[in-house]
Amino acid sequence: MNDVKEPLIRLVNITKRFKELTAVKGVSLDVYPGEKLVIIGPSGSGKSTLLRAINLLEEVDEGNIRFEGREVGYVTRLGKRHLDKPHNICTLRAEIGMVFQHFHLFPHMTVLGNVMEGPLTVQKKGADESRQIAVDMLDKVGLSDKKDVYPATLSGGQKQRVAIARALAMKPKLMLFDEPTSALDPELVGEVFDTIHTLADEGMTMLIVTHHMGFARELADRVIFMEAGSFLAEGEPKEFFSKGQENERIRGFLNRLL
Amino acid sequence: MKYFVSRALAALLFLSMLTGICQAEVNYDALSRKASDLMAMGDLPGAVEILKQIPAPERNADGSAFVASRMQMARIYASLEEADNALAANQEILALYPDNSEARNFAAALKQQQMPRWRSVLADCRRFLPSLLKGATMTLLLVFCTMLVSPLGGLLIALGRISTLKPVSALCWFIIWFFRGTPLLLQLFFIYYGLPAFGVTLPPLTAAVIGLGLNYSAYLGEIIRGAIQSIDHGQMEAAKAIGMTYGQAMRRVIIPQTYKRLMPPVGNEFIALIKDTALVSTIAMVELMRSADQLFNTYFNITALALAACIYLLLTSIFTFMFEKIEYRAGIYERR
Repeated sequence: MNDVKEPLIRLVNITKRFKELTAVKGVSLDVYPGEKLVIIGPSGSGKSTLLRAINLLEEVDEGNIRFEGREVGYVTRLGKRHLDKPHNICTLRAEIGMVFQHFHLFPHMTVLGNVMEGPLTVQKKGADESRQIAVDMLDKVGLSDKKDVYPATLSGGQKQRVAIARALAMKPKLMLFDEPTSALDPELVGEVFDTIHTLADEGMTMLIVTHHMGFARELADRVIFMEAGSFLAEGEPKEFFSKGQENERIRGFLNRLL
Repeated sequence: MKYFVSRALAALLFLSMLTGICQAEVNYDALSRKASDLMAMGDLPGAVEILKQIPAPERNADGSAFVASRMQMARIYASLEEADNALAANQEILALYPDNSEARNFAAALKQQQMPRWRSVLADCRRFLPSLLKGATMTLLLVFCTMLVSPLGGLLIALGRISTLKPVSALCWFIIWFFRGTPLLLQLFFIYYGLPAFGVTLPPLTAAVIGLGLNYSAYLGEIIRGAIQSIDHGQMEAAKAIGMTYGQAMRRVIIPQTYKRLMPPVGNEFIALIKDTALVSTIAMVELMRSADQLFNTYFNITALALAACIYLLLTSIFTFMFEKIEYRAGIYERR
Protein backbone atom coordinates (compact mmCIF):
# COMPACT_ATOMS: atom_id res chain seq x y z
CA MET A 1 0.00 0.00 0.00
CA ASN A 2 2.92 2.32 0.56
CA ASP A 3 4.70 1.87 -2.71
CA VAL A 4 3.50 5.00 -4.44
CA LYS A 5 3.37 7.38 -1.52
CA GLU A 6 6.14 9.64 -0.34
CA PRO A 7 7.00 8.85 3.29
CA LEU A 8 5.76 11.43 5.78
CA ILE A 9 8.94 11.07 7.71
CA ARG A 10 12.17 9.41 6.69
CA LEU A 11 15.03 8.76 9.08
CA VAL A 12 18.36 7.88 7.52
CA ASN A 13 21.18 6.40 9.51
CA ILE A 14 20.31 8.06 12.82
CA THR A 15 23.02 7.70 15.45
CA LYS A 16 22.89 9.10 18.95
CA ARG A 17 25.71 8.75 21.41
CA PHE A 18 25.59 9.57 25.08
CA LYS A 19 28.90 9.78 26.90
CA GLU A 20 29.91 6.16 26.72
CA LEU A 21 26.79 4.62 25.35
CA THR A 22 25.55 4.61 21.79
CA ALA A 23 21.80 4.71 22.30
CA VAL A 24 20.80 4.59 18.64
CA LYS A 25 23.05 2.97 16.08
CA GLY A 26 22.50 4.07 12.52
CA VAL A 27 18.79 3.45 12.35
CA SER A 28 16.81 4.16 9.18
CA LEU A 29 13.04 4.26 9.04
CA ASP A 30 10.24 5.40 6.74
CA VAL A 31 6.80 6.22 8.11
CA TYR A 32 4.08 6.67 5.52
CA PRO A 33 0.99 8.86 5.90
CA GLY A 34 -1.73 7.08 7.82
CA GLU A 35 0.60 4.39 9.07
CA LYS A 36 0.51 3.18 12.68
CA LEU A 37 3.94 2.04 13.68
CA VAL A 38 4.66 0.46 17.05
CA ILE A 39 8.16 0.14 18.43
CA ILE A 40 8.73 -2.42 21.16
CA GLY A 41 11.79 -3.67 22.92
CA PRO A 42 13.43 -3.90 26.31
CA SER A 43 14.08 -0.72 28.27
CA GLY A 44 17.31 1.03 27.40
CA SER A 45 17.10 -0.16 23.81
CA GLY A 46 16.88 3.37 22.39
CA LYS A 47 13.17 3.45 21.54
CA SER A 48 12.42 6.68 23.37
CA THR A 49 15.62 8.32 22.19
CA LEU A 50 14.67 7.55 18.60
CA LEU A 51 11.20 8.97 19.11
CA ARG A 52 12.57 12.12 20.72
CA ALA A 53 15.07 12.53 17.91
CA ILE A 54 12.22 12.91 15.46
CA ASN A 55 10.94 16.15 16.99
CA LEU A 56 14.46 17.21 17.90
CA LEU A 57 14.08 17.03 21.66
CA GLU A 58 17.18 14.89 21.29
CA GLU A 59 19.98 16.22 19.11
CA VAL A 60 21.52 13.29 17.25
CA ASP A 61 25.13 12.92 16.21
CA GLU A 62 24.66 11.50 12.74
CA GLY A 63 21.95 10.96 10.20
CA ASN A 64 19.25 12.90 8.39
CA ILE A 65 15.61 13.53 9.03
CA ARG A 66 13.25 14.32 6.18
CA PHE A 67 9.75 15.50 6.92
CA GLU A 68 7.37 15.60 3.96
CA GLY A 69 10.35 15.28 1.67
CA ARG A 70 12.28 18.23 3.06
CA GLU A 71 15.45 18.00 5.07
CA VAL A 72 14.83 19.18 8.64
CA GLY A 73 16.61 19.76 11.91
CA TYR A 74 20.23 20.15 11.01
CA VAL A 75 22.39 22.40 8.89
CA THR A 76 26.04 22.14 7.96
CA ARG A 77 28.12 25.25 8.42
CA LEU A 78 31.84 25.25 7.69
CA GLY A 79 31.80 21.49 7.55
CA LYS A 80 30.27 21.20 11.02
CA ARG A 81 26.85 19.94 11.87
CA HIS A 82 24.57 22.27 13.81
CA LEU A 83 20.97 22.30 14.97
CA ASP A 84 18.83 24.38 12.64
CA LYS A 85 17.59 27.85 13.60
CA PRO A 86 15.19 27.79 16.56
CA HIS A 87 12.39 29.12 14.38
CA ASN A 88 12.63 26.19 11.94
CA ILE A 89 12.80 23.69 14.76
CA CYS A 90 9.71 25.17 16.38
CA THR A 91 7.88 25.05 13.05
CA LEU A 92 8.68 21.35 12.73
CA ARG A 93 7.65 20.57 16.31
CA ALA A 94 4.36 22.39 15.77
CA GLU A 95 3.53 19.84 13.08
CA ILE A 96 4.43 16.82 15.22
CA GLY A 97 2.40 16.04 18.30
CA MET A 98 4.03 14.30 21.22
CA VAL A 99 2.58 12.50 24.22
CA PHE A 100 4.86 11.71 27.14
CA GLN A 101 4.91 8.87 29.62
CA HIS A 102 4.44 11.31 32.51
CA PHE A 103 1.92 13.56 30.73
CA HIS A 104 3.74 16.82 31.55
CA LEU A 105 0.54 18.82 31.67
CA PHE A 106 1.04 22.45 32.65
CA PRO A 107 -0.15 22.34 36.29
CA HIS A 108 -0.78 26.08 36.56
CA MET A 109 -3.29 26.11 33.71
CA THR A 110 -6.78 24.64 33.66
CA VAL A 111 -7.49 21.68 31.38
CA LEU A 112 -8.87 24.08 28.79
CA GLY A 113 -5.86 26.36 29.24
CA ASN A 114 -3.52 23.44 28.60
CA VAL A 115 -5.23 22.46 25.38
CA MET A 116 -5.60 25.97 23.98
CA GLU A 117 -2.04 26.96 24.84
CA GLY A 118 -0.61 25.69 21.53
CA PRO A 119 -3.05 27.42 19.20
CA LEU A 120 -2.96 30.57 21.32
CA THR A 121 0.77 31.02 21.92
CA VAL A 122 2.42 29.09 19.11
CA GLN A 123 -0.02 29.52 16.26
CA LYS A 124 -1.09 32.95 17.52
CA LYS A 125 -4.75 32.29 16.94
CA GLY A 126 -7.22 34.48 18.79
CA ALA A 127 -8.52 33.53 22.21
CA ASP A 128 -11.98 32.65 20.93
CA GLU A 129 -10.73 30.48 18.10
CA SER A 130 -8.20 28.77 20.37
CA ARG A 131 -10.88 28.09 22.94
CA GLN A 132 -13.16 26.60 20.28
CA ILE A 133 -10.38 24.30 19.07
CA ALA A 134 -9.63 23.27 22.65
CA VAL A 135 -13.29 22.52 23.41
CA ASP A 136 -13.52 20.41 20.25
CA MET A 137 -10.39 18.45 21.18
CA LEU A 138 -11.61 17.88 24.72
CA ASP A 139 -14.87 16.63 23.26
CA LYS A 140 -12.91 14.19 21.15
CA VAL A 141 -11.11 12.73 24.20
CA GLY A 142 -14.34 12.83 26.21
CA LEU A 143 -13.29 15.36 28.83
CA SER A 144 -15.19 18.52 27.98
CA ASP A 145 -16.86 18.41 31.40
CA LYS A 146 -13.43 18.77 33.02
CA LYS A 147 -12.36 21.81 31.08
CA ASP A 148 -12.31 24.24 33.99
CA VAL A 149 -10.44 22.16 36.57
CA TYR A 150 -6.71 22.04 37.20
CA PRO A 151 -4.75 18.92 36.18
CA ALA A 152 -4.00 18.10 39.83
CA THR A 153 -7.63 17.00 40.26
CA LEU A 154 -7.56 14.50 37.36
CA SER A 155 -6.79 10.79 37.37
CA GLY A 156 -3.76 9.56 35.43
CA GLY A 157 -5.90 8.36 32.54
CA GLN A 158 -7.69 11.69 32.32
CA LYS A 159 -4.38 13.54 32.43
CA GLN A 160 -3.05 11.52 29.54
CA ARG A 161 -6.20 12.14 27.51
CA VAL A 162 -5.82 15.87 28.13
CA ALA A 163 -2.20 15.58 27.01
CA ILE A 164 -3.41 13.91 23.81
CA ALA A 165 -5.95 16.69 23.30
CA ARG A 166 -3.21 19.28 23.85
CA ALA A 167 -1.09 17.67 21.12
CA LEU A 168 -4.07 17.33 18.77
CA ALA A 169 -5.01 21.00 19.17
CA MET A 170 -1.97 21.85 17.04
CA LYS A 171 -3.48 19.79 14.18
CA PRO A 172 -0.30 17.71 13.84
CA LYS A 173 0.50 15.55 10.84
CA LEU A 174 2.26 12.97 12.98
CA MET A 175 1.74 11.86 16.55
CA LEU A 176 4.50 10.42 18.70
CA PHE A 177 3.49 8.42 21.79
CA ASP A 178 6.31 7.73 24.22
CA GLU A 179 5.03 4.92 26.46
CA PRO A 180 1.69 6.67 26.94
CA THR A 181 0.32 4.13 29.42
CA SER A 182 3.43 3.10 31.35
CA ALA A 183 2.76 5.49 34.23
CA LEU A 184 -0.91 4.53 34.57
CA ASP A 185 -2.68 2.20 36.94
CA PRO A 186 -3.82 -0.89 34.98
CA GLU A 187 -7.49 0.02 35.21
CA LEU A 188 -6.84 3.41 33.58
CA VAL A 189 -4.93 2.06 30.57
CA GLY A 190 -8.08 1.22 28.64
CA GLU A 191 -9.46 4.75 28.37
CA VAL A 192 -6.17 6.01 26.95
CA PHE A 193 -5.97 3.14 24.44
CA ASP A 194 -9.53 3.85 23.37
CA THR A 195 -8.62 7.46 22.71
CA ILE A 196 -5.59 6.46 20.67
CA HIS A 197 -7.78 3.98 18.77
CA THR A 198 -10.22 6.70 17.85
CA LEU A 199 -7.34 8.72 16.46
CA ALA A 200 -6.07 5.74 14.52
CA ASP A 201 -9.48 5.23 12.99
CA GLU A 202 -9.42 8.83 11.81
CA GLY A 203 -6.27 8.05 9.85
CA MET A 204 -3.71 9.82 12.01
CA THR A 205 -0.14 8.82 11.32
CA MET A 206 1.42 7.63 14.54
CA LEU A 207 4.55 6.23 16.05
CA ILE A 208 4.05 4.50 19.36
CA VAL A 209 6.55 3.18 21.86
CA THR A 210 4.82 0.82 24.25
CA HIS A 211 5.20 -2.22 26.44
CA HIS A 212 1.61 -3.34 25.95
CA MET A 213 1.84 -6.12 23.39
CA GLY A 214 -1.90 -6.62 23.15
CA PHE A 215 -2.34 -3.01 22.20
CA ALA A 216 0.52 -3.22 19.71
CA ARG A 217 -0.99 -6.24 18.03
CA GLU A 218 -4.42 -4.68 17.81
CA LEU A 219 -3.43 -1.27 16.54
CA ALA A 220 -0.22 -1.55 14.56
CA ASP A 221 0.21 -1.78 10.81
CA ARG A 222 3.83 -2.56 11.45
CA VAL A 223 5.81 -3.57 14.55
CA ILE A 224 9.49 -2.94 15.06
CA PHE A 225 11.54 -4.70 17.68
CA MET A 226 14.45 -2.62 18.86
CA GLU A 227 17.34 -3.74 20.97
CA ALA A 228 20.65 -2.13 21.89
CA GLY A 229 20.10 0.77 19.53
CA SER A 230 19.25 -1.20 16.41
CA PHE A 231 16.18 -2.67 14.73
CA LEU A 232 16.31 -6.38 15.33
CA ALA A 233 13.20 -7.23 13.39
CA GLU A 234 10.11 -5.72 11.90
CA GLY A 235 6.93 -7.07 10.48
CA GLU A 236 3.17 -7.12 10.48
CA PRO A 237 1.76 -7.72 13.94
CA LYS A 238 0.00 -10.93 12.97
CA GLU A 239 3.17 -12.75 12.08
CA PHE A 240 5.26 -10.82 14.57
CA PHE A 241 3.27 -11.97 17.56
CA SER A 242 2.54 -15.44 16.21
CA LYS A 243 3.83 -18.40 18.10
CA GLY A 244 6.05 -19.14 15.16
CA GLN A 245 8.24 -16.12 15.78
CA GLU A 246 11.59 -17.33 14.61
CA ASN A 247 13.89 -14.90 16.38
CA GLU A 248 14.73 -16.41 19.70
CA ARG A 249 15.52 -13.07 21.35
CA ILE A 250 12.15 -11.64 20.41
CA ARG A 251 10.35 -14.81 21.39
CA GLY A 252 11.96 -14.64 24.81
CA PHE A 253 10.99 -10.99 25.19
CA LEU A 254 7.40 -11.63 24.15
CA ASN A 255 7.06 -14.68 26.37
CA ARG A 256 8.07 -12.65 29.36
CA LEU A 257 5.47 -10.02 28.61
CA LEU A 258 2.49 -12.01 27.39
CA MET B 1 -1.61 39.74 65.06
CA LYS B 2 -1.77 38.29 68.59
CA TYR B 3 1.94 37.68 68.31
CA PHE B 4 2.63 41.27 67.38
CA VAL B 5 0.51 42.73 70.19
CA SER B 6 2.21 40.64 72.84
CA ARG B 7 5.66 41.64 71.55
CA ALA B 8 4.73 45.33 71.53
CA LEU B 9 3.51 45.05 75.12
CA ALA B 10 6.78 43.45 76.18
CA ALA B 11 8.70 46.36 74.64
CA LEU B 12 6.55 48.89 76.50
CA LEU B 13 7.09 47.09 79.81
CA PHE B 14 10.82 47.17 79.30
CA LEU B 15 10.63 50.89 78.61
CA SER B 16 8.65 51.80 81.69
CA MET B 17 11.26 50.10 83.84
CA LEU B 18 14.04 52.14 82.28
CA THR B 19 12.28 55.49 82.59
CA GLY B 20 11.72 54.75 86.29
CA ILE B 21 15.43 54.43 86.87
CA CYS B 22 16.19 57.72 85.10
CA GLN B 23 13.64 59.78 87.00
CA ALA B 24 14.83 58.61 90.39
CA GLU B 25 18.10 60.43 89.81
CA VAL B 26 16.87 63.80 91.01
CA ASN B 27 19.68 66.20 91.68
CA TYR B 28 19.90 67.72 95.16
CA ASP B 29 21.50 71.01 96.15
CA ALA B 30 21.85 71.75 99.87
CA LEU B 31 20.89 75.38 100.58
CA SER B 32 20.02 75.99 104.17
CA ARG B 33 22.98 75.21 106.39
CA LYS B 34 21.06 74.34 109.52
CA ALA B 35 18.63 72.15 107.69
CA SER B 36 21.64 70.70 105.95
CA ASP B 37 23.20 69.71 109.23
CA LEU B 38 20.02 67.98 110.39
CA MET B 39 19.70 66.34 107.04
CA ALA B 40 23.29 65.22 107.28
CA MET B 41 22.37 63.51 110.52
CA GLY B 42 19.40 61.94 108.78
CA ASP B 43 16.73 63.93 110.65
CA LEU B 44 14.58 64.91 107.71
CA PRO B 45 11.40 65.86 109.68
CA GLY B 46 13.60 68.02 111.92
CA ALA B 47 15.02 69.76 108.90
CA VAL B 48 11.49 70.43 107.64
CA GLU B 49 10.51 71.97 111.00
CA ILE B 50 13.53 74.30 110.80
CA LEU B 51 12.76 75.30 107.24
CA LYS B 52 9.11 75.98 108.09
CA GLN B 53 10.34 78.69 110.47
CA ILE B 54 11.59 80.80 107.56
CA PRO B 55 8.59 83.06 106.98
CA ALA B 56 7.10 84.50 103.83
CA PRO B 57 8.82 87.80 103.05
CA GLU B 58 7.24 91.20 103.70
CA ARG B 59 6.06 93.10 100.62
CA ASN B 60 9.05 94.13 98.43
CA ALA B 61 11.45 92.38 100.79
CA ASP B 62 14.06 89.89 99.60
CA GLY B 63 12.33 86.50 99.30
CA SER B 64 15.30 84.41 98.28
CA ALA B 65 15.70 82.71 101.67
CA PHE B 66 11.98 81.85 101.71
CA VAL B 67 12.08 80.46 98.18
CA ALA B 68 15.17 78.44 98.99
CA SER B 69 13.60 77.04 102.16
CA ARG B 70 10.35 76.01 100.45
CA MET B 71 12.27 74.43 97.59
CA GLN B 72 14.30 72.49 100.10
CA MET B 73 11.12 71.41 101.90
CA ALA B 74 9.57 70.33 98.64
CA ARG B 75 12.66 68.25 97.84
CA ILE B 76 12.64 66.62 101.27
CA TYR B 77 8.95 65.79 100.99
CA ALA B 78 9.57 64.47 97.50
CA SER B 79 12.37 62.25 98.81
CA LEU B 80 9.99 61.00 101.53
CA GLU B 81 7.51 60.30 98.74
CA GLU B 82 5.00 62.73 100.28
CA ALA B 83 4.05 64.27 96.97
CA ASP B 84 1.08 66.24 98.31
CA ASN B 85 3.19 68.04 100.96
CA ALA B 86 5.90 68.64 98.36
CA LEU B 87 3.39 70.22 96.04
CA ALA B 88 2.00 72.36 98.90
CA ALA B 89 5.46 73.73 99.66
CA ASN B 90 5.91 74.41 95.99
CA GLN B 91 2.56 76.18 95.84
CA GLU B 92 3.71 78.54 98.62
CA ILE B 93 6.44 79.82 96.30
CA LEU B 94 4.24 80.01 93.25
CA ALA B 95 1.56 81.94 95.17
CA LEU B 96 4.08 84.76 95.70
CA TYR B 97 6.28 84.32 92.66
CA PRO B 98 4.21 82.73 89.87
CA ASP B 99 7.10 83.08 87.40
CA ASN B 100 9.69 81.23 89.47
CA SER B 101 10.96 78.75 86.94
CA GLU B 102 12.68 76.47 89.43
CA ALA B 103 9.43 75.95 91.32
CA ARG B 104 7.45 75.50 88.13
CA ASN B 105 9.82 72.90 86.75
CA PHE B 106 9.84 71.08 90.05
CA ALA B 107 6.04 71.04 90.14
CA ALA B 108 5.91 69.77 86.57
CA ALA B 109 8.42 67.05 87.35
CA LEU B 110 6.44 66.09 90.45
CA LYS B 111 3.24 65.90 88.45
CA GLN B 112 4.95 63.80 85.80
CA GLN B 113 6.26 61.55 88.53
CA GLN B 114 2.75 61.18 89.91
CA MET B 115 1.50 60.37 86.40
CA PRO B 116 1.36 56.61 85.83
CA ARG B 117 4.40 55.46 83.86
CA TRP B 118 2.41 54.22 80.92
CA ARG B 119 0.98 57.73 80.51
CA SER B 120 4.36 59.37 80.49
CA VAL B 121 5.58 56.83 77.94
CA LEU B 122 2.48 57.53 75.90
CA ALA B 123 3.23 61.25 76.06
CA ASP B 124 6.76 60.51 74.76
CA CYS B 125 5.31 58.41 71.96
CA ARG B 126 3.00 61.20 70.95
CA ARG B 127 5.99 63.54 70.90
CA PHE B 128 8.19 61.23 68.79
CA LEU B 129 5.65 59.68 66.47
CA PRO B 130 5.41 62.43 63.82
CA SER B 131 9.10 62.47 62.95
CA LEU B 132 9.34 58.67 63.19
CA LEU B 133 6.42 58.30 60.80
CA LYS B 134 8.10 60.69 58.42
CA GLY B 135 11.19 58.49 58.60
CA ALA B 136 9.04 55.39 58.09
CA THR B 137 7.60 56.92 54.91
CA MET B 138 11.12 57.20 53.52
CA THR B 139 11.86 53.63 54.58
CA LEU B 140 8.75 52.43 52.75
CA LEU B 141 9.67 54.42 49.66
CA LEU B 142 13.08 52.75 49.63
CA VAL B 143 11.52 49.33 50.14
CA PHE B 144 9.05 49.79 47.31
CA CYS B 145 11.64 51.13 44.88
CA THR B 146 13.88 48.15 45.64
CA MET B 147 10.93 45.77 45.35
CA LEU B 148 10.25 47.13 41.87
CA VAL B 149 13.85 47.00 40.69
CA SER B 150 15.23 43.83 42.24
CA PRO B 151 12.78 41.19 40.92
CA LEU B 152 13.42 42.39 37.37
CA GLY B 153 17.16 42.50 37.96
CA GLY B 154 16.97 39.13 39.66
CA LEU B 155 15.09 37.58 36.74
CA LEU B 156 17.63 38.90 34.25
CA ILE B 157 20.51 37.60 36.37
CA ALA B 158 18.78 34.22 36.78
CA LEU B 159 18.13 33.85 33.05
CA GLY B 160 21.69 34.96 32.37
CA ARG B 161 23.07 32.38 34.76
CA ILE B 162 21.29 29.50 33.03
CA SER B 163 22.02 30.87 29.56
CA THR B 164 24.12 28.67 27.30
CA LEU B 165 26.04 31.76 26.19
CA LYS B 166 29.23 31.52 28.21
CA PRO B 167 30.03 35.28 28.49
CA VAL B 168 26.50 36.10 29.68
CA SER B 169 26.46 33.41 32.33
CA ALA B 170 29.97 34.36 33.45
CA LEU B 171 28.95 38.01 33.82
CA CYS B 172 25.90 37.08 35.88
CA TRP B 173 27.97 34.75 37.99
CA PHE B 174 30.36 37.64 38.65
CA ILE B 175 27.55 40.01 39.64
CA ILE B 176 26.19 37.50 42.13
CA TRP B 177 29.66 36.69 43.42
CA PHE B 178 30.49 40.34 43.98
CA PHE B 179 27.27 41.62 45.49
CA ARG B 180 26.71 38.65 47.75
CA GLY B 181 30.34 38.60 48.76
CA THR B 182 30.75 42.19 50.00
CA PRO B 183 28.86 44.01 52.76
CA LEU B 184 25.87 46.07 51.66
CA LEU B 185 27.21 48.91 53.79
CA LEU B 186 30.43 48.93 51.80
CA GLN B 187 28.52 48.88 48.51
CA LEU B 188 26.44 51.87 49.64
CA PHE B 189 29.57 53.75 50.71
CA PHE B 190 31.20 53.02 47.39
CA ILE B 191 28.22 54.20 45.36
CA TYR B 192 27.62 57.35 47.41
CA TYR B 193 31.11 58.38 48.51
CA GLY B 194 33.28 56.48 46.00
CA LEU B 195 31.61 57.14 42.66
CA PRO B 196 32.12 60.95 42.84
CA ALA B 197 35.83 60.19 42.43
CA PHE B 198 34.92 58.80 38.99
CA GLY B 199 32.85 61.88 38.21
CA VAL B 200 29.47 60.35 39.10
CA THR B 201 27.70 62.15 41.91
CA LEU B 202 24.36 60.71 42.90
CA PRO B 203 21.71 62.10 45.22
CA PRO B 204 21.31 59.95 48.36
CA LEU B 205 17.96 58.42 47.36
CA THR B 206 19.26 57.36 43.93
CA ALA B 207 22.44 55.96 45.43
CA ALA B 208 20.43 54.06 48.04
CA VAL B 209 18.04 52.54 45.49
CA ILE B 210 20.92 51.55 43.19
CA GLY B 211 22.84 49.97 46.06
CA LEU B 212 19.86 48.11 47.54
CA GLY B 213 18.60 47.24 44.05
CA LEU B 214 21.87 45.66 42.91
CA ASN B 215 22.39 43.81 46.16
CA TYR B 216 18.88 42.38 46.22
CA SER B 217 18.94 41.60 42.50
CA ALA B 218 21.94 39.40 43.15
CA TYR B 219 20.23 37.54 45.98
CA LEU B 220 16.92 37.22 44.13
CA GLY B 221 18.85 36.12 41.03
CA GLU B 222 20.09 33.04 42.83
CA ILE B 223 16.65 32.36 44.30
CA ILE B 224 14.93 32.70 40.93
CA ARG B 225 17.55 30.54 39.21
CA GLY B 226 17.01 27.85 41.80
CA ALA B 227 13.24 28.02 41.37
CA ILE B 228 13.48 27.82 37.57
CA GLN B 229 15.80 24.85 37.73
CA SER B 230 13.57 23.12 40.25
CA ILE B 231 10.72 22.94 37.74
CA ASP B 232 10.45 19.44 36.26
CA HIS B 233 12.44 19.25 33.04
CA GLY B 234 9.44 17.62 31.38
CA GLN B 235 7.61 20.94 31.49
CA MET B 236 10.18 22.52 29.16
CA GLU B 237 10.02 19.47 26.88
CA ALA B 238 6.23 19.52 26.77
CA ALA B 239 6.29 23.22 25.92
CA LYS B 240 8.87 22.65 23.20
CA ALA B 241 6.92 19.68 21.87
CA ILE B 242 3.93 21.87 21.03
CA GLY B 243 6.28 24.20 19.17
CA MET B 244 7.07 26.88 21.73
CA THR B 245 10.30 28.83 21.53
CA TYR B 246 12.55 28.95 24.59
CA GLY B 247 11.22 32.42 25.41
CA GLN B 248 7.58 31.37 25.11
CA ALA B 249 8.20 28.28 27.23
CA MET B 250 9.86 30.36 29.94
CA ARG B 251 7.23 33.06 29.92
CA ARG B 252 4.12 30.90 29.64
CA VAL B 253 5.11 27.64 31.31
CA ILE B 254 8.23 27.69 33.48
CA ILE B 255 8.25 31.08 35.19
CA PRO B 256 4.56 31.06 36.23
CA GLN B 257 5.21 27.77 38.02
CA THR B 258 8.05 29.28 40.03
CA TYR B 259 5.83 31.87 41.74
CA LYS B 260 4.67 29.59 44.52
CA ARG B 261 8.17 28.32 45.20
CA LEU B 262 9.54 31.86 45.08
CA MET B 263 7.21 33.34 47.67
CA PRO B 264 8.79 31.99 50.91
CA PRO B 265 12.41 32.90 50.09
CA VAL B 266 11.47 36.17 48.40
CA GLY B 267 9.28 37.10 51.37
CA ASN B 268 12.30 36.46 53.55
CA GLU B 269 14.45 38.69 51.39
CA PHE B 270 11.96 41.54 51.41
CA ILE B 271 11.64 41.38 55.19
CA ALA B 272 15.42 41.50 55.42
CA LEU B 273 15.23 44.44 53.01
CA ILE B 274 12.96 46.44 55.34
CA LYS B 275 15.63 46.18 58.01
CA ASP B 276 18.56 46.63 55.63
CA THR B 277 17.21 50.03 54.63
CA ALA B 278 18.48 51.14 58.06
CA LEU B 279 21.97 51.01 56.53
CA VAL B 280 21.25 53.90 54.18
CA SER B 281 21.09 56.19 57.22
CA THR B 282 24.87 56.18 56.82
CA ILE B 283 24.70 57.90 53.44
CA ALA B 284 22.82 61.00 54.52
CA MET B 285 19.32 59.60 54.18
CA VAL B 286 16.80 60.32 56.91
CA GLU B 287 14.69 57.20 57.19
CA LEU B 288 13.20 55.44 60.18
CA MET B 289 16.46 54.38 61.83
CA ARG B 290 18.04 57.78 61.37
CA SER B 291 14.96 59.56 62.77
CA ALA B 292 14.98 57.34 65.84
CA ASP B 293 18.70 57.91 66.29
CA GLN B 294 18.27 61.68 66.08
CA LEU B 295 15.45 61.66 68.65
CA PHE B 296 17.46 59.43 70.95
CA ASN B 297 20.46 61.71 70.78
CA THR B 298 18.35 64.84 71.36
CA TYR B 299 16.18 63.65 74.26
CA PHE B 300 18.23 60.71 75.45
CA ASN B 301 14.93 58.89 75.67
CA ILE B 302 14.87 55.23 74.82
CA THR B 303 11.16 55.42 73.95
CA ALA B 304 12.19 56.74 70.53
CA LEU B 305 14.16 53.57 69.80
CA ALA B 306 11.44 51.29 71.14
CA LEU B 307 8.85 53.07 69.04
CA ALA B 308 11.03 52.68 65.95
CA ALA B 309 11.34 48.99 66.73
CA CYS B 310 7.53 48.80 66.90
CA ILE B 311 7.19 50.47 63.50
CA TYR B 312 9.74 48.06 61.97
CA LEU B 313 7.81 45.18 63.49
CA LEU B 314 4.55 46.51 62.12
CA LEU B 315 6.04 46.77 58.63
CA THR B 316 7.58 43.30 58.69
CA SER B 317 4.35 41.83 60.10
CA ILE B 318 2.35 43.31 57.24
CA PHE B 319 4.84 41.85 54.75
CA THR B 320 4.76 38.43 56.41
CA PHE B 321 0.99 38.38 56.25
CA MET B 322 0.96 39.60 52.65
CA PHE B 323 3.42 36.98 51.44
CA GLU B 324 1.53 34.17 53.16
CA LYS B 325 -1.59 35.24 51.27
CA ILE B 326 0.25 35.53 47.96
CA GLU B 327 1.86 32.12 48.44
CA TYR B 328 -1.54 30.60 49.03
CA ARG B 329 -2.94 32.26 45.91
CA ALA B 330 0.07 31.28 43.80
CA GLY B 331 -0.29 27.61 44.67
CA ILE B 332 -4.05 27.36 44.33
CA TYR B 333 -3.81 25.06 41.30
CA GLU B 334 -2.02 22.39 43.32
CA ARG B 335 -4.96 21.82 45.63
CA ARG B 336 -7.39 19.10 44.76
